[in-house]
Amino acid sequence: MEAAVETEKLVKTFKSRSDTVEAVRGVDLRVQAGEIFGFLGPNGAGKSTTVRMLTTLTTITSGKARVSGVDVAADPDEARRRIGVALQEAGLDPRQSGRELLILQARLFGASKAEAAKKAAELLELVDLVDAADRLTRTYSGGMKRRLDLGTALVHQPEVLFLDEPTTGLDPASRLAVWEEVRRINSLGTTVFLTTQYLEEADQLCDRLAIIDGGLIVSEGTPDGLKADLRRRRGLQHDPTLDDVFLDATGRTRERVAGEVQEVHA
Amino acid sequence: MSSLLVLSERAVREAKRTPDALLPTLFIPVFFLIVNVGQVGKIFPADTTLFLEGQSYAAFTLPSSLLLAASFGSSALYLVEEIENGYLDKLRATPVPRSFISLGRLSAEAIKSVGMTIAIVLIALPFGISIASGPLGFVLLIVITAGWAVGYSGFLQFVALKTRGAAATQSASLIFFPLLFLTPNFVPRDMLTRPMEIAATLNPVTYVMEAMRSLILDDFNATVVGRGFLVVAVFVAAMLWLNVRTMRTYD
Repeated sequence: MEAAVETEKLVKTFKSRSDTVEAVRGVDLRVQAGEIFGFLGPNGAGKSTTVRMLTTLTTITSGKARVSGVDVAADPDEARRRIGVALQEAGLDPRQSGRELLILQARLFGASKAEAAKKAAELLELVDLVDAADRLTRTYSGGMKRRLDLGTALVHQPEVLFLDEPTTGLDPASRLAVWEEVRRINSLGTTVFLTTQYLEEADQLCDRLAIIDGGLIVSEGTPDGLKADLRRRRGLQHDPTLDDVFLDATGRTRERVAGEVQEVHA
Repeated sequence: MSSLLVLSERAVREAKRTPDALLPTLFIPVFFLIVNVGQVGKIFPADTTLFLEGQSYAAFTLPSSLLLAASFGSSALYLVEEIENGYLDKLRATPVPRSFISLGRLSAEAIKSVGMTIAIVLIALPFGISIASGPLGFVLLIVITAGWAVGYSGFLQFVALKTRGAAATQSASLIFFPLLFLTPNFVPRDMLTRPMEIAATLNPVTYVMEAMRSLILDDFNATVVGRGFLVVAVFVAAMLWLNVRTMRTYD
């Protein structure tokens, strides 16, 4: 079976006049089509940089990355046609309405005016923004912006949807709405590649996950598999949580990790 | 090309929704026109000042106001805003040529400049201005001004893409003021002091201004007009190239 996302020794180095930072130091990943894949890590671990390379937004220093079988460096336009992207910041044009932004996005993916209008109407329904469709997005709440951003990532029915910390800063109700939406999108066949700092989110949503720290993958597997492995290795009497798995994988203590990774219960 | 049109339409819609950004672009050049005429209009009466070709001093100073309006483009500041809020990345993740993201905004600047030029010329008509080169000359005046607007906005967008900051982009927009004042904007070049004449001769804005002035005051001086268009063409080409190159390598 063809992998939806595949990387080989993926490296990203940022150079400035005075400094060189290796943000990603040789990441190997394989995400199967149809999965919800979680990508966890503390702040600055390399999650967003990896996503930016996979979504053609940042150049790759070395290594290979393929999305839906397309080499993102060799054929970035084709890769962009196959992916949807919702980044950490719900990037929206504040001087356009929700409907206008969805139509614009659809047209940039090649839809005709009529097709784009139809698609926008469908997506507004889907992300529950019909009532606010013709308001400028600068009047939207954080949750509404996030839902619209998700909608814009879906205009062209992508094969792989990249969500970079999609629930950061959302209230519990909005977070649940996004989770529900992610599950629904995935049930229609879209592979979801999700980065998050919220361990409960990964536990709830993801079929498999990888933990990145210091630019390297330090652990990978299903949430249950990773927990069982930790229990066996440590001879624990109780069932470990994903927090314990995270702390074990990154070599952090609960005290040290406070402020880097948060437990949030929706 | 339809993607370019869609991005251009978006930028025009944005301009229509921000009259607070457009009004100063109109007000300040008109203010300069009125003040300049008020200050030196009496020194250069239409009937005895040869270089006015029988028109009022407002006709002589109109190009300064048009160039000023054309240098007030807001596209670069909106671009910085999109860099900061992440929308630029959203556009970069679409399969449209990345250069279209820059060009869409610049084409909207050209459209805005056409409207602004027509408005300023209409406002200036009561000051006794006529376009001596006729309707074709008026069209050429609009085109050269729009060209300058695209070039200068291109320069500011280039600064925005390089610095990714509003402060640097805003500061860069002020560069036009010394360039405007190092031109024969009050009197013809041969009436300037020698050092000022040398500075004006070295300043490419001088040739654009003289071409615009020629379209307003002369019947049609192909050499002067052609030189102005050449300067604008080179400026626009250089700025488009820088924009396209920077957008393609933006990381």
